[in-house]
Amino acid sequence: MALQTFTAGQTLTAAQMTSLQANTYNQTVSTKTASYTLVAADVGTRIVMNSASATTITVNTSLFSAGDTLFIQNIGAGVCTVTAGTATVSSAGPLAIPQNGSGLLYFTSAGVSIFYPSAVTASAGGLTCVKAETTFSASSSVTADSILTSSYTNYLVIVNWQTAAAQNLYMRLRIGGVSTSTNYNSQDLIGTGTTTSAQRFTGATEWMIGQSSGGAFNSTTILNIYQPQVATVTTMTANIIRNNGNYTTGLHAILTTGNQTDSTQFDGIQLLPSGGTITGNYAVYGYSKTV
Amino acid sequence: MALKINDNGTDREMTADEEAAYLAFSAQIQDKQQKLIEAEQKKLADKQAVLDKLGLTADEAKALLG
Repeated sequence: MALQTFTAGQTLTAAQMTSLQANTYNQTVSTKTASYTLVAADVGTRIVMNSASATTITVNTSLFSAGDTLFIQNIGAGVCTVTAGTATVSSAGPLAIPQNGSGLLYFTSAGVSIFYPSAVTASAGGLTCVKAETTFSASSSVTADSILTSSYTNYLVIVNWQTAAAQNLYMRLRIGGVSTSTNYNSQDLIGTGTTTSAQRFTGATEWMIGQSSGGAFNSTTILNIYQPQVATVTTMTANIIRNNGNYTTGLHAILTTGNQTDSTQFDGIQLLPSGGTITGNYAVYGYSKTV
Repeated sequence: MALKINDNGTDREMTADEEAAYLAFSAQIQDKQQKLIEAEQKKLADKQAVLDKLGLTADEAKALLG
């Protein structure tokens, strides 16, 4: 039931009471199949947009009062956009209502309204997990295939690991379940205490992405792989946290940059300890290409 | 006992080919690491030999060269 104006001495009928109650528990619906401009009688009702093509709901001033509300929902495939006519419409979220979305339009005065969207399309996160955290124990090799796709240009790999004996951790890129073992180059910068050193490897069969002194001290490698799915050189950077025999004076910081000079479109990775086994976990994320 | 691989999240024993490939990789890496260690040791020994020839300690050489 649309808003009524009752006057002094008027008899309130049972039907009117029932109708008012019905609006409270089962809101009056007004279905629109084309763009629509709100009218005063829409206050307190539910406007249902049902159009296959895009529509608008226009909000004009001097039709509503402070505190008035109305509910807008969209069941059509066409996006409905709440549009300021002569009134203002502000919102912390989008004014576009997707199919099966909705929102509450609230007036703070006759010419000022706020739209509170109750269902919005979530924007994609900056990072998308493409390989859920996976644990490995006493492994001599860890593989992850079909995780690098054209959906992302760049990837983040985080590996937490430890070894019983002193070992390095290496990575190879894979295609079709087969590791590539040529044309890896890397440049390392190593710091511990006040001492820095550097080393370079060219034409290697893998990237060195971690070092451990053994003794089950946790090491972590945070590694970015750039353009593995693009038919060009694949590059990488890695930050390596090494605890060489203890967690205080044994702390090493290792920065590694590298490339693999084939034009192969890689789709997986392999982790390899230089000997013995590794225990830990890893996860892989894709960097979103869009906002 | 065969070596273990975590293959796309599943633990299993390596196949003979995988184990051979891993052992070849490991041997190659160990050899490379050993060569790096030897190269570093040789560099230090060469440096010491020069110092010995000049009759200087490392600190004296550092003081002279700045």
